[in-house]
Amino acid sequence: MSEQLNNETTHFGYKTVDKANKASMVAEVFHSVAAKYDLMNDLMSMGIHRLWKRFTIDCSGVRAGHKVLDLAGGTGDLAAKFSRLVGEKGQVVLADINQAMLKVGRDKLRDKGLIGNLEYVQANAECLPFPDNHFDLITIAFGLRNVTDKDKALASMYRVLKPGGRLLVLEFSKPTHEALSKAYDLYSFHVLPKMGQLVAGDAESYQYLAESIRMHPDQDTLKAMMEQVGFEQVTYHNLTGGIVALHRGFKF
Amino acid sequence: MPFTQLVNASLEILLNRLLTLDDASSERLRALSGQRLRVRIREFPQPLTFAFSDKVDLLGDTDSPVDCDIELSINTLDKIGDLNRLNQLIQQKALTLKGDLHTAQAFGILFKELNIDWEEQLSRYTGDVVAHQSFNLMKGLKQKFSRDMAQLRSVLSDVALQEKPVAAHPLAVEDFAGEVNKLRADTARFEAKLTQLEQRKAGKA
Repeated sequence: MSEQLNNETTHFGYKTVDKANKASMVAEVFHSVAAKYDLMNDLMSMGIHRLWKRFTIDCSGVRAGHKVLDLAGGTGDLAAKFSRLVGEKGQVVLADINQAMLKVGRDKLRDKGLIGNLEYVQANAECLPFPDNHFDLITIAFGLRNVTDKDKALASMYRVLKPGGRLLVLEFSKPTHEALSKAYDLYSFHVLPKMGQLVAGDAESYQYLAESIRMHPDQDTLKAMMEQVGFEQVTYHNLTGGIVALHRGFKF
Repeated sequence: MPFTQLVNASLEILLNRLLTLDDASSERLRALSGQRLRVRIREFPQPLTFAFSDKVDLLGDTDSPVDCDIELSINTLDKIGDLNRLNQLIQQKALTLKGDLHTAQAFGILFKELNIDWEEQLSRYTGDVVAHQSFNLMKGLKQKFSRDMAQLRSVLSDVALQEKPVAAHPLAVEDFAGEVNKLRADTARFEAKLTQLEQRKAGKA
């Protein structure tokens, strides 16, 4: 796949790094931005990320009693909603590889009074610590592009998903119009790092964000990757002109 | 931009904000906890799916299973809190309901019985005195407006009927209608008589 350059190296934004180092480098980025993550998301996307996440929830088919894994769940935007939708008999696991992000998410959800059906797990998407056929739904929003071995992560998600369950991948993708693509590049590489410097005191992390988005597989490549590990009926839906795409796949 | 999600998000924020302004709403919301209701308003292109917990979540999905699915016109929306009216509306086919009738009723009650003390809400930002005076002023203005409108209606009616008779008094209209009816009856009688005479003349010839 495009992510893997050879067996030992991978991309970290536009840089080529050892696979073994990427997780810690990504962790450093998110450790740095965790405290201002929500604020920055609102500023960078002008609040539209909330609508993309709502669209994901609308496509989830989640019902009372379901078991949901919100992978790379960050500050818990999706998990908060899922917690209410699955009810007392359901279960939502908020998992993130990054302890700082998980802590911000846990504090935020507890402050909202969401306890009881929520669990917090620090986990690597490539080797999920859950039994086979366990979850009705897995979501990963704006997390897959940071994973070192995406194929391995998708296979791991497939393993823990119940037959009949679905995976939703919400991720930055490739704009479908040339003019939008140019405007988006201008915004990503010139405005975002400055905004990151101003608000979070960290321009580099937001430079990485822009670069990692460009290195992420496009809509059709990701669809093929999902099919490769066994997902069926894989479809994607472009949002905001393809800046973001929601991929959906089922395990039967 | 996902427009449906924008509308739903705005509506969800508004509904939950209104519910938090009424302390008694949490009890009514508890009756619906764990249930889902889909409302298909004929005038709107997208159905609204309500998921109830300690909040109301508004979903944009169209096909997930729900406890109750109702289809109605926007004019009927405020009548679903009353069980008797609900049955009546179903019989009149003003409303189509599939699923649990009580979910629809509890949903109607949730918003119909919303009782918000707006003066109290305003006082949180302005203090009691300003809030009280503002509401008194608004009440006074409302009463004055109602009085002025009633007076204006009365004056216009007098002008139109008497001073500048551009409109007819209801009694005159009634009298005119009676005269027209009498003329119509006379004409009908005359027509019948004429027909009879024509037939008689034709018989003799």
